[in-house]
Amino acid sequence: MGILDKKLSLRDRNKMLIGVWEDEDQLMAGASEIAHAGVHIHDIYTPYPVHGLDRIIGARRSKLARIAFFCAVTGLTLMTTMIWYMYVHDWPMNIGNKPVRFTPSWAPVMFEGTVLCTAFGMSFFFFWRNRLVHGIKNEILDIRQTDDRMVMAIETTDGMDEKAVLNMMKNHGAVELREFHNGVQTVL
Amino acid sequence: MIHDSIIRDRLVTGDKTASDVTRDIARPILNNPSTAWKVGFTLSLIFLGIFGVSLLYTLFTGIGVWNINKSVMWGWDITNFVFWVGIGHAGTLISAVLLLFRQKWRMSINRSAEAMTIFAVICAAMFPVFHMGRVWVGYWALPLPNAFGSLWVNFNSPLLWDVFAISTYFSVSLLFWYIGLIPDIATIRDKVKSKLGKTMYGFFSMGWTGSTRTWARYELISLILAGLSTPLVLSVHTIVSTDFATSVIPGWHTTIFPPYFVAGAIFSGFGMVATLLVVARKVMNYENYITIGHLDAMTKIIMVTGTIVGIAYITEFFIAWYSGNIYEQYAFTNRMFGPYWWAYWSMMTCNLIAPQVFWFRWARTTPWFIFIMSIVVNVGMWFERFVIIVTSLHRDYLPSSWVMYSGSLTEIGLFLGTFGIFFTCFFLFAKFLPVINMAEVKSILRNRE
Repeated sequence: MGILDKKLSLRDRNKMLIGVWEDEDQLMAGASEIAHAGVHIHDIYTPYPVHGLDRIIGARRSKLARIAFFCAVTGLTLMTTMIWYMYVHDWPMNIGNKPVRFTPSWAPVMFEGTVLCTAFGMSFFFFWRNRLVHGIKNEILDIRQTDDRMVMAIETTDGMDEKAVLNMMKNHGAVELREFHNGVQTVL
Repeated sequence: MIHDSIIRDRLVTGDKTASDVTRDIARPILNNPSTAWKVGFTLSLIFLGIFGVSLLYTLFTGIGVWNINKSVMWGWDITNFVFWVGIGHAGTLISAVLLLFRQKWRMSINRSAEAMTIFAVICAAMFPVFHMGRVWVGYWALPLPNAFGSLWVNFNSPLLWDVFAISTYFSVSLLFWYIGLIPDIATIRDKVKSKLGKTMYGFFSMGWTGSTRTWARYELISLILAGLSTPLVLSVHTIVSTDFATSVIPGWHTTIFPPYFVAGAIFSGFGMVATLLVVARKVMNYENYITIGHLDAMTKIIMVTGTIVGIAYITEFFIAWYSGNIYEQYAFTNRMFGPYWWAYWSMMTCNLIAPQVFWFRWARTTPWFIFIMSIVVNVGMWFERFVIIVTSLHRDYLPSSWVMYSGSLTEIGLFLGTFGIFFTCFFLFAKFLPVINMAEVKSILRNRE
């Protein structure tokens, strides 16, 4: 499995049912009922983080914390090795008769290097995993999903009762219902 | 269970909806610049010009054009360096420490405070870099092989720790700020009409869609970055303080410096945040987002940190007396009653006495008064650094090394010029990027518990 989360892309997908909400409470209730009915929700796009939606759509817990720890250990090792190599191994210097072996005075540089490595390593992973790349084509379903609308996307499967799903969306306050197929949206 | 709070005051007033937030905050970006912006930006450019002229004069003539000498070898330059680094700290405090403490009021002010951090660190970096004199070999401060001209760097030196601390602080702050900006840049991308705007905001929004999966990871990375930035911000000013504390100069050689510098940094940083936001909320009509409640909270922090700093001043004075060391005692008596008494007492008045006015609710909730007080705080904190540096250096052990020091016109020009850098950056930021974090503010509109 690559690092990139393929679930984030809308390309090469079956027909998708799109529901648009204005209210987060109604969206939560709708998403919850649809998920309980056994329908897999592909994704929900919101202009701000709505807590709890990730669990409803079955998103797995992120491994970012573990990645951060790995980057921290790498950074610490790199910095310690660097200081030891320059200061002890390659060219020891007598400055004010201070010791050149490992001393607490190494700690600030080791710490800063660890933080730098963790922050950038983890962020690079975050960008990659989330398909956040400079200049990538936007795959937005509704121009207002970054403003005030919340958009639910459900990928149709064989045997799915599309009408029942659309009804559930409508009953829970979806203000618009659409179909998305081959890059074309149709209002229902 | 989630419910609407009936006890807490609303963090955003005026019954705003999510689309109101987008409209209000994106207005300066989507419309032509206002007259206030044009006037402010022109003034900033004038100050930037002063910086350019002073810097070129310094570069082409040498740092002999500054009034520093063999006793006072650090003068306005390092005073200004510590002053600007300190100002930067409030941004990280608001975005990182307050995030860890789940203080939701930070959401309206974190964006501009983080921007302030970045611009302040740029201003700060100017001074040690150009104090090197031969700035074209400034890369010798980096750990490069001996073949580059210098020996390996000295890892026992706090000045080297500074190189690592400031560059890490700048890059991590920039990263934290940018990650926070991505959802808002995407909002602007979907609102802006011009082709150039669409291309630019499209490029920097990195294809953000607002997917639930991405939001979940985004919140986690924000939390981890906040967890990293908190010790980072403490380490940066601790390291800045060790530039002084690890030397054996009376007045500098004190263990109280790290916590005292960190408290002072937060104090001065909040002073600058208050200066900027009191004006911004009025000029940009953001009174419903940066409410009196925000000003109230910020002034409380100013009062607490000002008091901590004041106690530190008194403690170091007491310890100098208690140590029985005549050189320490002289350094502190000289600060209070020597030729720079006016600087010492300006510092005490502005930093310890003046902020006590924030015990009164009126003082904490009256914007014009907070604006004046924030300037007082900034003046006081500049004097603090001036007092620490100049009064400790100007009377050396040998009376033949006793000198008086005052900044030259070039040094004053450089200092005023950094305000040009700072405000030019800030005005550009206010024109092209959302000053308030739209996505986060939308999530607190309902005052959920």
